Amino acid sequence: MPFKRMPQTFTASIGTVTIGTGEKAVTMGGENVLPLYSFDAPIANRPLIGVEVSDLGVDNTLPELAAFYAGADTVVEQAKRAATMPGADFLAIRLESADPNGANTPVEESVALCKAIADAVDCPLVIEGSKNAEKDSTLLAKVAEALQGKNVLLMSAKEENYKSICAAAVLAYGQKMGAESAVDINLAKQLNVLIDKMGVKGENVAMNVGSAAAGYGFEYVASTMDRVKAAALGQNDNMLQMPIITPVSSEAWSVKEAIVSEEDEPEWGPTEARGVEMEIATAAACLAGGSNAVILKHPKSVATIAAFISAII
Amino acid sequence: MGLFDRVFRGSDEMYAKAEQSVDEIIAKVGPDAPMNMPNTGYFLACNYAYLGRKITKVGELKEALADVRSMMTKEQRTRDVFLSGIGTAIAAEIIEACKYVETETPYEGTLYHGHLTDAEVRELGVPLVTGDIPGFVVIIDEAPSDEEAAALIKGYQSRGIFVFLIGGIIEQAARMKIGMGFPVRVVPVGEDIWAVGHVISLVVRAAMIFGAIQPGDFAGFQDYTFHRIRAFVNAFAPLRDITVACGGGAIAMGFPVITNETENIWRVPKSLIVQPNTQEFIETSLEARDIKIKVTKIDIPVAFSSAFEGEIIRRPDMQIEVDGSRLDCCELVCTKEASEIEDHKIILEGPDFDEFPVGTKISMCYIAEVAGKNMQSDFEPVMERKIHNYFNCIESVYHTGQRDMIRIRVSKSAFEAGFRARHFGEVLYAKLMSDFGAVVDKCQVRICTIPEKNAEYRALANKTYDARDARLASLTDESVDVFYTCILCQSFSPSHVCIVTPERLGLCGAVSWLDAKATNELEPDGPCQIVPKDRPIDEDLGTYEDVDEAVNKYSHGALEHVTLYSIMQDPMTSCGCFECICGIEPMSNGVCIVNREHTGITPMGMSFSELASMTGGGVQTPGFMGHGKHFISSKKFLKAEGGVGRIVWMPAALKETVRTRLDATAKDLYGIDNFTDMIADETVVEGDPEALMNFLTEKNHPVLSMEPLM
Repeated sequence: MPFKRMPQTFTASIGTVTIGTGEKAVTMGGENVLPLYSFDAPIANRPLIGVEVSDLGVDNTLPELAAFYAGADTVVEQAKRAATMPGADFLAIRLESADPNGANTPVEESVALCKAIADAVDCPLVIEGSKNAEKDSTLLAKVAEALQGKNVLLMSAKEENYKSICAAAVLAYGQKMGAESAVDINLAKQLNVLIDKMGVKGENVAMNVGSAAAGYGFEYVASTMDRVKAAALGQNDNMLQMPIITPVSSEAWSVKEAIVSEEDEPEWGPTEARGVEMEIATAAACLAGGSNAVILKHPKSVATIAAFISAII
Repeated sequence: MGLFDRVFRGSDEMYAKAEQSVDEIIAKVGPDAPMNMPNTGYFLACNYAYLGRKITKVGELKEALADVRSMMTKEQRTRDVFLSGIGTAIAAEIIEACKYVETETPYEGTLYHGHLTDAEVRELGVPLVTGDIPGFVVIIDEAPSDEEAAALIKGYQSRGIFVFLIGGIIEQAARMKIGMGFPVRVVPVGEDIWAVGHVISLVVRAAMIFGAIQPGDFAGFQDYTFHRIRAFVNAFAPLRDITVACGGGAIAMGFPVITNETENIWRVPKSLIVQPNTQEFIETSLEARDIKIKVTKIDIPVAFSSAFEGEIIRRPDMQIEVDGSRLDCCELVCTKEASEIEDHKIILEGPDFDEFPVGTKISMCYIAEVAGKNMQSDFEPVMERKIHNYFNCIESVYHTGQRDMIRIRVSKSAFEAGFRARHFGEVLYAKLMSDFGAVVDKCQVRICTIPEKNAEYRALANKTYDARDARLASLTDESVDVFYTCILCQSFSPSHVCIVTPERLGLCGAVSWLDAKATNELEPDGPCQIVPKDRPIDEDLGTYEDVDEAVNKYSHGALEHVTLYSIMQDPMTSCGCFECICGIEPMSNGVCIVNREHTGITPMGMSFSELASMTGGGVQTPGFMGHGKHFISSKKFLKAEGGVGRIVWMPAALKETVRTRLDATAKDLYGIDNFTDMIADETVVEGDPEALMNFLTEKNHPVLSMEPLM
């Protein structure tokens, strides 16, 4: 029997979210096929790659990473360098030091840093908060105010603090927001419904449905993403049609394989190479699952994933 | 003269003043002089919002005035009064705007704040939208005394309400040395009533910024201010016509006006409220605008945290013990009318803890009286069940039991820290308001330590408990209009959906129909959604088109059909947290039920955990299903297959748990007495079907005369 090609396209499609301004603005989402199924129909916007820069500075224990950032001694300089990384579409500033259980950098300082970076680079920006819901609700609101007109994406609103991020980030200052839930389709949907009820339109929201490093319970991530895309496309569920953005580097670089030194595990080889592999494996899995954007940190991972995307789409 | 005429007269007054201001400023600077309000992108915001006019030149004020005039139609209809009121607010903005033509800071060096910048609108707007600021009040004119003015302002401040002041009250506040300014959330707007234009300008800008309402969309603004902006007005007597006209505008926007004026005023329910006692202004106002104050901290002298839940107070450490086993004690949540109770009032009847000697066993009753528009008496037991958990979170206090069988111990250390009877009230108030804020608008707590009186309270409480039990017993799947979904477990069992009915509670045993109902009310977008039961297909099987639609929707297409009362046809799926698993035993044509606690083998040749692997995960396996213990004795249990008469084996402990109700059900269905004794258990049969058959034959079990299951 001859093979008959049956393209599987959907009448529904994933929504789009645009970040940044001017020529460098980028758009994620918009496809009406399953993730990476470019053989069924053209994919409206290829998945995006963001480069993460932490306000704690570059991890100098990783020689290749340190070499990439050589000479860039301030976070602003590092951000400028990161913006030149081949394959990167946007910059993700991670305000790690703002965590009250960590360095607890005052809000004004974090805001000043974001402002300085926004003035120094012209690529689209994603600002990641401290992951502390209470701190982020004030921090991200102030960042939104300071970066008015830059069309940045603020990550992330959770169930505990979505109200202030909706009100400040999107309604008051016209930015975009991430909606973060913990690997559960219903929690993701519930948060989107609550955000919608605040008067925030879907075009301003990207979902972070949660992630895990490959091999660390990733099957939950895979099943959640599968179901989100199936409901969004197959059932035209508009409360699950927001594009998905997944911060990969923070997960991938914190697991054993990426941390344990070569001295402790000589047969595993160099630490940095392992971290890069974890980052690439996780990012590729996320993209196959349905992420419309991934956030990475290592130049090698960015180059590899960029090549992967252009080869497959 | 009626209220309408007062509004129209006041509108005329405001219009005349506006006309005069505009004429004067045009005469002075000419019609082409620029008209810019400082630091705003919304021009004269009221004019922009309601009239769609972008005023940039002084001369354009004149044209705007013509629009305002046309709004003041003077027909004796509510619509005209509202329109006239809003026209008055626009005129007020024009009067104030004239002051900004020649300078950006006309109020420099005065007490007054005047125009609010866009930055200030956003700064106030964000917490208003999130509810961190529960609302704002505009207080107009002089209070009866400086002290009352100060008490009112501070009262609002302490509740987190943002305060705008207009007129004489500003000087009163200044005399009482009340700190004023945007950062302390008390803004002295201006000395004359037209300063109200600045407040309305803020309101409409908030609607444009946060609600994306388009300029000129009059109805859109009405709708947004009514539903989203929790504002209200306090206006002190004597009320002038011009204030009444502004009040008409406020009411048109959905902001109630509360006044102590009693002459020449007409009450309008929920809108124009006369409260002669100014001390009651705050309570009356909050109720009129449906504002709930967020309780953020619990006012008790010891810590409150789940870390203290497991704490046990030994007898030697005990200051006082509430002993429900010997004395009259009870705990109760009951619903009241809003007018019957006072929010956050804690009434202690009888002596406090410091009036009893150390180690005394006392009688104590505490009753949380709650009121709310969405409150239903079905939620009372749901709330009451949480009291155990609340009181155990108090440091150095422990609580056991429920209803009239409670025991509470307060340790010496809690007592020494200052813990007294009323603090139980503080805990109940704070927790009920924060956990059940969606249904509880007001809460008052009554605590009594007088033994004679407690005998009465206990008798009263028992009546309530009896009524609740009767309600629970009478709840059948037929007697209710809706079922609920529960998808709490989908995080690990993605395609499972529980349909919770009065007789078939969630298979985990933790979500009853009442719980699901309360969850739906408290968290409308949460795991428990309403499933109507309007389109039954087969009531014996328990099939409904509505139920099929719900499982299809909430399993995201994984499930298409579910029956409520059958184990053979499309049985309900299970997540993995079932209390019991029921499976068919082919030799007897009956079913075995095994509960999670039972570790031994069943006559089906499998243990609970082996059965669990076949039953869980959201898949339908005909012949196997998970369920709660409570479901076993229901008349709906395996209704499609003949009912509880199919049960041939259960662990002995489970038999004892369900015995009374199961016997009653079997008696009703088959006229059999002591049916539970006909069911085998592990003491007579373990893994051997032959032995089971012998036992059933010996007992003349009803399953022997039933149709084959397959």
